[in-house]
Amino acid sequence: MTTLALVGNPNCGKTTLFNQLTGTTAYVGNWPGVTVEKKEGLYHGMRILDLPGIYSLSPYSPEEKIARRYILDEQPDLIIDVIDSTNLERSLYLTTQLVELGRPVILALNMTDLLEKNGITIDAKKLSMLFNCPAIQLSASKNKGLEHFEETIRQTLSSGKLPACPLFSNTVERYITPIIADDYLHNLPQGRPMRWAAIKLIEQDELFLSSMPPVPATTQKLIDQARAALTVTYDDDPEAVIIDQRYKVAEKICAACQTTVKKEQRFSLDRIATSKYGAIPLFALVMAGVFYFSIQLVGGITTPLIEQFFDFINTHLDAFLSSIGVVPILRGLLVNGIIGGVGSVLTFVPQLFVLFLLLSILEDCGYMARIAFIMDRIMRSIGLSGKSIIPLVIGTGCSVPAIMCSRTIEHQRERELTVIVTPFIPCGAKMPTFALFIAFFFPGKWYIAPLIYFLGILSVIITGLISQKLDKHKETNAFILELPHYQVPTVKNVWLQTKERIAGFVHKAGTIILLASAGIYVLQSFSFTLQPVSADQSILATIGRIVAPIFKPLGFGTWQAAVALLTGIAAKESIVSTLTVTMGGAALSSVFTTRSALSFMAFVLLSTPCVAAQTAMSKELGSDKRKFWRAVGYQMGFAYLVALLIYWAGGMMV
Amino acid sequence: MKKTVGGLTLGETGTVDTIVAPKPLKRRLMDMGFTRGVAVKMVKVAPLGDPIEVELRGYNLCLRKAEGDHISLQETK
Repeated sequence: MTTLALVGNPNCGKTTLFNQLTGTTAYVGNWPGVTVEKKEGLYHGMRILDLPGIYSLSPYSPEEKIARRYILDEQPDLIIDVIDSTNLERSLYLTTQLVELGRPVILALNMTDLLEKNGITIDAKKLSMLFNCPAIQLSASKNKGLEHFEETIRQTLSSGKLPACPLFSNTVERYITPIIADDYLHNLPQGRPMRWAAIKLIEQDELFLSSMPPVPATTQKLIDQARAALTVTYDDDPEAVIIDQRYKVAEKICAACQTTVKKEQRFSLDRIATSKYGAIPLFALVMAGVFYFSIQLVGGITTPLIEQFFDFINTHLDAFLSSIGVVPILRGLLVNGIIGGVGSVLTFVPQLFVLFLLLSILEDCGYMARIAFIMDRIMRSIGLSGKSIIPLVIGTGCSVPAIMCSRTIEHQRERELTVIVTPFIPCGAKMPTFALFIAFFFPGKWYIAPLIYFLGILSVIITGLISQKLDKHKETNAFILELPHYQVPTVKNVWLQTKERIAGFVHKAGTIILLASAGIYVLQSFSFTLQPVSADQSILATIGRIVAPIFKPLGFGTWQAAVALLTGIAAKESIVSTLTVTMGGAALSSVFTTRSALSFMAFVLLSTPCVAAQTAMSKELGSDKRKFWRAVGYQMGFAYLVALLIYWAGGMMV
Repeated sequence: MKKTVGGLTLGETGTVDTIVAPKPLKRRLMDMGFTRGVAVKMVKVAPLGDPIEVELRGYNLCLRKAEGDHISLQETK
């Protein structure tokens, strides 16, 4: 099948174009061996691959390595270079590298709709001539300029025309030519264009050299001469000289194709959003608004409705089943076990949906990047990055997509720390537990719920401070952040992202939680000799009693609590359903006291997240599994200590 | 002491001279367009004084002051 590769800078609207072209056929996977997302979709019978957003093809960042390896080794039939038209010069810097890779190229000049506002006009014909490849002006978010896109692709494919590589200054070209002419490059492995290879040799690109047979002495001499001469002439290292040359080319082409009329600065939202005094209050206000709307307003309406719905189904199903003579144990399994368990989870779908929807809108319109900008200073003082804010905020919905968002953080240590602390933020699945306990033990005490969030945030801070004390490692990666243009969010982007996240949650309810609910029901209905018994004689109770002593110091050393926590590892939503099932109608106060309720909530909040989130953690922490186990160990230990402290403190106050 | 991008004041413009940094960081900064002779203008400072946003090559970029300090500026004559 014909394969097209989408390449471009981050924030160039590549994903919007991808969504526009592929619609619902998109498929998300991972590149082998690394945690960089691999997106694929279909466009008129052709496979489109969305390569990671990159600024360059350097051998240092994982995204850039992937894009480069993919284009060279997999040889896509066509490269679609997506360009942010409002940022032509820097976009062309990447283009100068792409055209050297020996594949046909189409320049997709995106965001054309913003040009007029910025007083810019681009001569696409001239650009197309200079690079000897098609250049199409379009706007993916407005779905404009795509009418002849397929036609252009087909034409370029059938002509097989390769783009032109713009030349560097004579001084530099003089050293490239003899290296190309050298015998060494004439035995290149397939897909290594000679000009590109010669430049890589001058740069002494490690990744390239490791993929090549050893360089013979005569060739090495040529390279060394070139490097020495360039260093002297330009007073910088050869790698820097090449970058400088590329930017000179980009400048020249940009000057030839672009005219800019200075427009007076119009009012920008950033006057408030990133202003000295307004920024942080606005951030707090926006977040409070998001939570109030999704959890309080929407959740407040839908939760009781859905509960009633499931109660209604259960009562009628139970009556129906007994009328046709189904044995009680099966009836119980279906009604109390499966429907009860899954139902308690589905209750949270509407409010989570709204939460994810609002967060997607904040991301798509460009506000999330501003949050990262204004919060970086604070976050760095606790060893995190401004970009850690995004995972932490999304973590209030579900830790799984949140942990995956940590990928954009450049510093490895900040990224790993973000992965470890994100589960401390109470996710949607933990809400039922808190709701149940607060309603029973602290009715009317409004401050308990915010205190839980506060404890989560405090734990993030403490962990950050600890890790900063322990770390002696120096990082050399840059914190690079672009504040994208504010834009009206595109329905398609927001919808696809929300759908992806909520689907993960619902999927969990249909699989892990369904199985766990059914399994727990069976385990708590039978003894080891497979005799139907009351819950406190069951297999589950026996297991719970073995584990329970561990939690004795925390105040909840009962088998019911222990079992609930165990099932909570499968999915935190199960904690409530397990407690309900195992207590068999008795009040919460038969198992917990006010004091142990507090320590239990703290333990649920901070202990290691559900299996799904653990899988995400393990993926993001990389192939060294010891890191993952240390992270889980830390979360468990930290949760235990905090719960213990709270239980003690509770004892002092009483 | 040489002036750096990190040391620019709000609204001030400087011209890039050299980058002194470990290889990956130097490459990353140059990839973003900080090459010799480029004009860099400080356009925004985060509410807490760091990071900063600078304008270069017709676009805006945020970076931390510590990273900006690796980029030294030419002496103004």
